[in-house]
Amino acid sequence: MTSTAPAGGAVGGVRRRPRYLAVCLTAMQEATAYRFTAVFVVMLGFFWAFILYFLWEAAYTDTATIGGYTWPEMRTYIVLAFGINSLIGWNVAGAMQEAVRTGDIVLEMVRPLNYCGAQIARYLGYSTVEGAVALGLTVLIGVIFLGLQPPVSPLSGALFVVALAGGFLTRALFLFLCSLLTLWVLSNAGIMWAQQAVTLVLSGAIVPVTLMPLWLQGVTNVLPLRGIVATPLAIYLGKVTGPEMLGLLGLQIAWLVVLWLVADRMWRRAFRAVEIQGG
Amino acid sequence: MAKASADEVVVRATGLTKVFRRAAKPPGFAGALRHLVRPRWDDVLAVDEVDLEIRRGESVAYVGPNGAGKSTTVKLLTGIVVPTAGMVTVCGLDPFTDRVRNARNIGVMFGQRTQLWWDIAVQETLRLLADIYQLPPERFRRILDDLVDALDLAPLLGVPARQLSLGQRVRCDLAATLLHEPEVLYLDEPTIGLDVSVKARFREFVRRLHDERDLTVLLTSHDLGDIAHLCRRLIMIDDGRIVYDGSLTEISKRFGWEKSVHVALSRSEPSASTIAASMFAERARAVTQDSETELVVTIDSREVLPGEVIRDLAAALPVADVRIEEAGIESIMRRLYEGSLRFDGEPTR
Repeated sequence: MTSTAPAGGAVGGVRRRPRYLAVCLTAMQEATAYRFTAVFVVMLGFFWAFILYFLWEAAYTDTATIGGYTWPEMRTYIVLAFGINSLIGWNVAGAMQEAVRTGDIVLEMVRPLNYCGAQIARYLGYSTVEGAVALGLTVLIGVIFLGLQPPVSPLSGALFVVALAGGFLTRALFLFLCSLLTLWVLSNAGIMWAQQAVTLVLSGAIVPVTLMPLWLQGVTNVLPLRGIVATPLAIYLGKVTGPEMLGLLGLQIAWLVVLWLVADRMWRRAFRAVEIQGG
Repeated sequence: MAKASADEVVVRATGLTKVFRRAAKPPGFAGALRHLVRPRWDDVLAVDEVDLEIRRGESVAYVGPNGAGKSTTVKLLTGIVVPTAGMVTVCGLDPFTDRVRNARNIGVMFGQRTQLWWDIAVQETLRLLADIYQLPPERFRRILDDLVDALDLAPLLGVPARQLSLGQRVRCDLAATLLHEPEVLYLDEPTIGLDVSVKARFREFVRRLHDERDLTVLLTSHDLGDIAHLCRRLIMIDDGRIVYDGSLTEISKRFGWEKSVHVALSRSEPSASTIAASMFAERARAVTQDSETELVVTIDSREVLPGEVIRDLAAALPVADVRIEEAGIESIMRRLYEGSLRFDGEPTR
């Protein structure tokens, strides 16, 4: 149980890290403690991907394209959308809300950190590890069994990664805002379910945006959540190029700035208005 | 930062007030539904115009019954909640508006919560904290070595927090609280649940720190041992108001007039308490018989002297042994909480 005891000096002598990076790296370390949970969750979730896969396969028996997607494109979309969606960072969302519910949030408030920034750093730490596991498994299974296609060009592959990172941050900020709501309602189950459902639909994780009813397309196209799944995949599959692609990336960045400003303002307001739980 | 003079006020609150809004829900599910449709709120006055001055190097016990407003005061002083009215400064900063800068000056430890990351080794949490406070590596190493030494942490550094016993966890948490060498230390029920020897070591360590480093300590605790060992000054709060602010010894002086005479009888005497009760009907506050050979007479030493009690008892009963007990701080506090003692007159500062 006990590992070998290092002397006190063993911890010192290490380099000083920028503080939010340190939070992120520590979160990564902690996430590795849950790597088996991560594998388990991803494997279990694959049922969902398989069901979608076969449904779409049936839909494609009579037609070559649906909503502008060929079957090889569609199956690539489904599998990758699933993989990205697995990076939900279930740890940190749960941790944030639990901290509010139990009042442990006081411990984070007495440290010299921007609360919002610290939470996002933590989220990125967890998600990097969980995401690596999820994407790794997805790509592996996808390539072997489900005919996953590579990105249309090296450039689209590279920009896919950029958009994916932006999507990560979008998701992190959105989750953070949802967890702030917990401060007012003091219970998290409902909010968690709601945000998950909304994210699934509006990010394009269930169906590509082009297959949505027109009114929903209109909504989805201007909202930030499409940056999580739809935007990276549109780039990956070459559905958008040139100015249109830059426009989508620009939208993502603009939303990130807005979300950050809202989140940063909202937690300050939240703490003004709300009581901290427990004695 | 210049080291200020010893009598510099580190924590100052004037008219500090906090009102919480609490949902006023009628009982039951129907009540909860009604609250959904038309929410009603009660105002709860948690802290009521508290005035407070704590000087550098002081160690103050902040006590009061459950729900008196202790924790809320600590949250106000640490900048976690915003005051409804009044003013508070800690080391010259407003803790709420200047939360981040204030956080560098203070250390906060809650006995019931842990700041250690649950699934990674303790040393990782400590290293993270060093980064958060941007301690230079050599300073981090020096402080950590001291803490490891004093708190005997060497065997614990590599262990994940979830595997620590409560006593070990509290020691690590204290190290995490002190790593950035705060000027003001808030301890909230720090020894709750600890066994006697761990408790003693904890107090010993905090006390040494206080003596050596001129640390300002604010302790909230229900453990009188903690209070007596660590603090000279005691502030008692009840219903959000300060009801006593003065030295710990002053309390015993002001309320320590209650004494009890414990008498051991040389032979069994079942009716001893009846005899004694009729003898001291006017003079004693209580007469109790613990067993057939033990009798306790509780008196107000301002009205009757223990000597008189002993003399009269010895004349009537086969007294073998006598012991006089003075009211300890413990019984005084218990009765203050219960409301059977009142502070009257000006509390001495």
